[in-house]
Amino acid sequence: MSPTFTAWTVLALPLAGTILLALGGRGWRGVGAGIVGTATIALAFVFSVLTLIGLLDRDAEGGRQIASSLWTYASSGGVEVRMEILVDPLSVIMLLVVTGVSTLIHLYSLAYMRGDEGYPRFFAYLNFFVFSMLLLVLAGNFFLLIAGWAFVGAASYMLISYWYRRTTATAAGIKAFVINVVGDVGLVLGAILLLRHTGTVDFLETFAAAEDTFAGSGSGSEGSLTVALLLLMIGAFAKSAQLPLHTWLADAMEGPTPVSSLIHAATMVTAGVYLIARLNPLMELAPTAQVVGAVIGLLTLLVAGTIGLTQTDLKRVIAYSTMSQIGYMIMAVSAGAYVAGMFHLTTHAFFKAMLFMAAGSLIAAMAGEQSLDRMRGFRKAMPFTYGAFVIGGLALAGVPPFSGFFSKDEILAAMAGEGGWMWILVIGGYLGAFLTAIYTWRMIFRAFWGPPCPEAQELEDGRLYHAPDHRNPATGELEDTHVGFPGPEHHIAERALPMRIAMGGLAVLASVGGLLGIPKVLTPMEDFLLDPVFAERGLHHPSDTIIVVGMVVGTLIAVAGIYVAYVIWGRPAQEGRESTAISSGWQERFPRLHRLFVNKWWFDELIHATIVAPARWLGRFFHDTFDRLVVGAGLVGGTTGTVRGASALVRRMQSGYLRGYSAVLLAGLAAVLVYFLAQS
Amino acid sequence: MLHLSILLWLPVVVGLLGLAAGRHARLVAVPGSLAILALSVAFLLDFDRDAGGLQRVTSDEWIGALGVDYSLATTGLNVWLLLLTTVGFAFAIVWSATQDRVQDDRPGAYYLLLGIGQTSVLGAFLAQDLLLFVGFFDLMLIPFFFLAIGWGDGERQQRVSAVLKMVVYTLVGSLLMLIAAVAAGVLATPQGGEISFALADIAERGVPEGSQGWIFACFAAAFLVKMPAFPIHGWVRDGYKSMSLPVLAVFSGVLSKVAAYGFIALALPLLPEGVVDLRLVVLVVAVISILYASVVAFTTTDIRLVLAYSSIAQLGFITIGALTLREDGAAGAILHSVNHGLVTLPAMLVVAILAARAGGSEDLRDMGGVAFRAPIFAALFIVVTYALLAMPGSANFAGEFYILRGAWEGVAPGFAIVASLGVVLASVYALRLFIRTTHNRVGPKVDSRELSPSELGLLAVPVLVIVALALQPDVVLRDTDRAAGAAAHAAAIADGRTGVRDEGASATTAAGGATAGGAAGAGTAAGAAGAGGIEIDPTTGLPIDPTTGMPVDPSSGMPVDPTTGAPTDDLPTDGAGR
Repeated sequence: MSPTFTAWTVLALPLAGTILLALGGRGWRGVGAGIVGTATIALAFVFSVLTLIGLLDRDAEGGRQIASSLWTYASSGGVEVRMEILVDPLSVIMLLVVTGVSTLIHLYSLAYMRGDEGYPRFFAYLNFFVFSMLLLVLAGNFFLLIAGWAFVGAASYMLISYWYRRTTATAAGIKAFVINVVGDVGLVLGAILLLRHTGTVDFLETFAAAEDTFAGSGSGSEGSLTVALLLLMIGAFAKSAQLPLHTWLADAMEGPTPVSSLIHAATMVTAGVYLIARLNPLMELAPTAQVVGAVIGLLTLLVAGTIGLTQTDLKRVIAYSTMSQIGYMIMAVSAGAYVAGMFHLTTHAFFKAMLFMAAGSLIAAMAGEQSLDRMRGFRKAMPFTYGAFVIGGLALAGVPPFSGFFSKDEILAAMAGEGGWMWILVIGGYLGAFLTAIYTWRMIFRAFWGPPCPEAQELEDGRLYHAPDHRNPATGELEDTHVGFPGPEHHIAERALPMRIAMGGLAVLASVGGLLGIPKVLTPMEDFLLDPVFAERGLHHPSDTIIVVGMVVGTLIAVAGIYVAYVIWGRPAQEGRESTAISSGWQERFPRLHRLFVNKWWFDELIHATIVAPARWLGRFFHDTFDRLVVGAGLVGGTTGTVRGASALVRRMQSGYLRGYSAVLLAGLAAVLVYFLAQS
Repeated sequence: MLHLSILLWLPVVVGLLGLAAGRHARLVAVPGSLAILALSVAFLLDFDRDAGGLQRVTSDEWIGALGVDYSLATTGLNVWLLLLTTVGFAFAIVWSATQDRVQDDRPGAYYLLLGIGQTSVLGAFLAQDLLLFVGFFDLMLIPFFFLAIGWGDGERQQRVSAVLKMVVYTLVGSLLMLIAAVAAGVLATPQGGEISFALADIAERGVPEGSQGWIFACFAAAFLVKMPAFPIHGWVRDGYKSMSLPVLAVFSGVLSKVAAYGFIALALPLLPEGVVDLRLVVLVVAVISILYASVVAFTTTDIRLVLAYSSIAQLGFITIGALTLREDGAAGAILHSVNHGLVTLPAMLVVAILAARAGGSEDLRDMGGVAFRAPIFAALFIVVTYALLAMPGSANFAGEFYILRGAWEGVAPGFAIVASLGVVLASVYALRLFIRTTHNRVGPKVDSRELSPSELGLLAVPVLVIVALALQPDVVLRDTDRAAGAAAHAAAIADGRTGVRDEGASATTAAGGATAGGAAGAGTAAGAAGAGGIEIDPTTGLPIDPTTGMPVDPSSGMPVDPTTGAPTDDLPTDGAGR
């Protein structure tokens, strides 16, 4: 089986699953839909591995980048778009990450979503998402990439508003969708601008033409390339929740927790990173775009880190952490550290997916409550979940030898090796790492340490806590549980085997994922990716000194961050104290800063005031006033008045509309004919 | 037997048979409309895209003294629009057949009027004579006028005044167009020549440059009213409210496309200089239409008006594509016409389905939560919504992509960027429509129930067509592409567009082939320039400088590379400058 055949199969399987699940509709019984959904994705993973093997079999010199197309999708004006995939190390790594993590999350959902009214619908959406994501990473041209890009957006929208009777969920859904359409438009315009110069939408042809088209200075096309890449990066920023298009991600936590785990942590939100890595031959020719991307990544990782410090909603803390970690990746791939960025993407998928799964377990035990203020002392009640949180927390904070340590370190070391202005990125990156350790462990100490809260106590006593009535975690509004979780059944990782397997698998990967790239010792990922994807492009290897110093500094910062979190939240919790003097002391000393962080730097308010509110006002003005008075009455009033008079006249003449109309028509025709015949 | 006259007149014949069948009219009308649909599929399959030009020509002298011919033909521009027409009318007729309201109230007359409507739309698409086109274009309005008054929604008195408003608007446009058409034919006739309104003749003879401007302005006014465009859309609000939904589905989905077709198939080849001089005005109107209508569409709470304004916005995109003077823009405009027609049909049905579940109300404030007991409906509706907002991966997106690309290259980059705001706004109004009717809490008047079998059948078929077209929009583009290039060619040359780009050569050949078949689009430039005794370079279609022997750009007077058609100094020429 050729790699392209297996890759097409990978793409076809989740689509087939979607269709099967959708056609079955409410006919699915029990966990049938979940098993079918999980099985198709697991099979897709198997075929992804086969694709990897097929690719490894081929000659590393130029044989590992294969395009395959089925039919002409659209062609006009000399631009042909083909239904085409590109199989190369970069897309295969994405295939493995996407199908692998998806399989585990499907498995987790099998139990987690059990008892939900829309069980088959959930798996149909989830399979559709996997299909879309695979289309995105396999696309061999801009057109299909944009299609996959929009499809994941649509899947994300449908899953965010999966519990569609919550108005908060549907509002979050439309927000995510519209911001992502802004990104789509950026992609479209960027692709059109590239097309102008290269005459093709095909990736390989574009890259082949790039050097000749854009490298020559003075032709003006250099500037065009920068503009095109910035437009494309709007798409990347929107999808990957980078400033200032990030506001949808926290709201997207309205979706079921497996969705947050799969789409809003492990896979979809990293599409922007993939895109920039994919476009590396172009990025190398446009230093300005590189700087912009790196700076946006840096700002995002710092801003999100500070917001993460102050959030009290468990899922939102992890969401801001995701944003922050993607900031690292965007910074890396923009600055040219492609391998490091992809490495961090992979390890992050492992530990962040697991953290969300563990959070889901915790939220289930709390019967849907997500506030950290209410959680306490789950350590004894949920040892398995606690273990997962600790492993995830260590990996996220960057403590050796967990996976996040190596990948984050590689990013910062690559930039330090480059030196110059990139030291700003390095210093910012370490500051971000410090914040990461603090907010991660704040979350863990607050939820798991200290005396158990009533829910944890129930669990320790062998009972599962059921909330008397379910309230929307965002608004406190009473909800009708008919449409979804937590219904009568809710599952926690401690008890459901599929959930334990899924989390266990990811825990192992999060622990040993570093083996994919230990500098100088073991670098299978880098060896695989360099040829032919990144080749000689990008940052070169940093010196041994930088690597060693970087590792030591990284470790110290992570440990320091965890210690700070321990002092502020861990120790007091252990001693059974409610609030901490240090934390509230800081809040008192820097009230403005605290308000800034709690209010998420007022980005939502800013966007609302500058874009949403004016658009709404304009709409009301046009709709209520302008259309009625100017277009409907002023402009037309005169005409309509004339018509009324004329029609009255016509009625009086008993001639009927048709005859009146034809008479006018004929009279006009006659007059004109006479005029022109006289002229000619 | 494939004869275009059969396709053209069959709808009226079926209508008359239906009238004779009286109360059982639908038993004639439904199979009849499906037969017509099958016939147009046969014409589509018969169309030879490699040959291009005019095919299946039917031509007879009609009113000899006035030079009006009865001549019909299929071209790359109209084959798909013919199919859209027959699909749209078949959809409306089948849908109407399920309505008791039609069944109880003079069904024979109702189906006859729809048949007349269908014949006139088909006639407008098929006509290869300018006055024939104008005749069918004007005839189109009449059956809909009676359908709205006799079988419309709302109070009869309001219907009459709403429809009158619409008639006046369109009538003004029609009269202007009639004057323009007569003028075009007469002015193009050389001294002592036989007067002719055949599109090919007018294109070949060329309308005097000085008159093209006002003639184009008259045509554009008629088309823009029909579409409609801002700010001459005053009839839309009441007009949409007064028609019954099956009638509105064809009115909005099919009839407006005649105007878009008119820009590409008539204005571009017949009035290239006029288009070049005045297109910026129309383009600006189109962009304002997109932005204005989109903003209103996400404000109004009337679901029918959401579709009305979204239609204005989408036709704005189509207009832009038509006037990019580029192959891809024009082909994208035709594709998007087909797409928009196909999405309008199920969208109107969705309005009816929603209203039936909300106690007859069409107000968003009364709605919500329909998905609760109607998951199949919700699934089909979301596909319609995605197509309506032109989500990438849909054929609608392919249309918009080529339109935006055409605008970027053929008008100005900034123009494409502003127009693309409409794409973002479309996602807002389309998704808002979906969420507020189908999601959220169950609305105050809503009684959620699943689709009835007839509703399911009617909704599922167009949705499947939308999905099928999304898999390969190229089926439309590959038939359309060359004809679109040929149509835009003359205007592109008049625009001094030296780079009719790489496809310049192939477009010239296509235009050449079309001339042989007696087509529009034929070497207008050749005709116009030839009159002045200037030689034409065969590759670039540009006049040749008698002193240097090099082809020159007519607008700048600069010599041009004869093989590529690019200016010799390699400066990219920007078409937007004029």
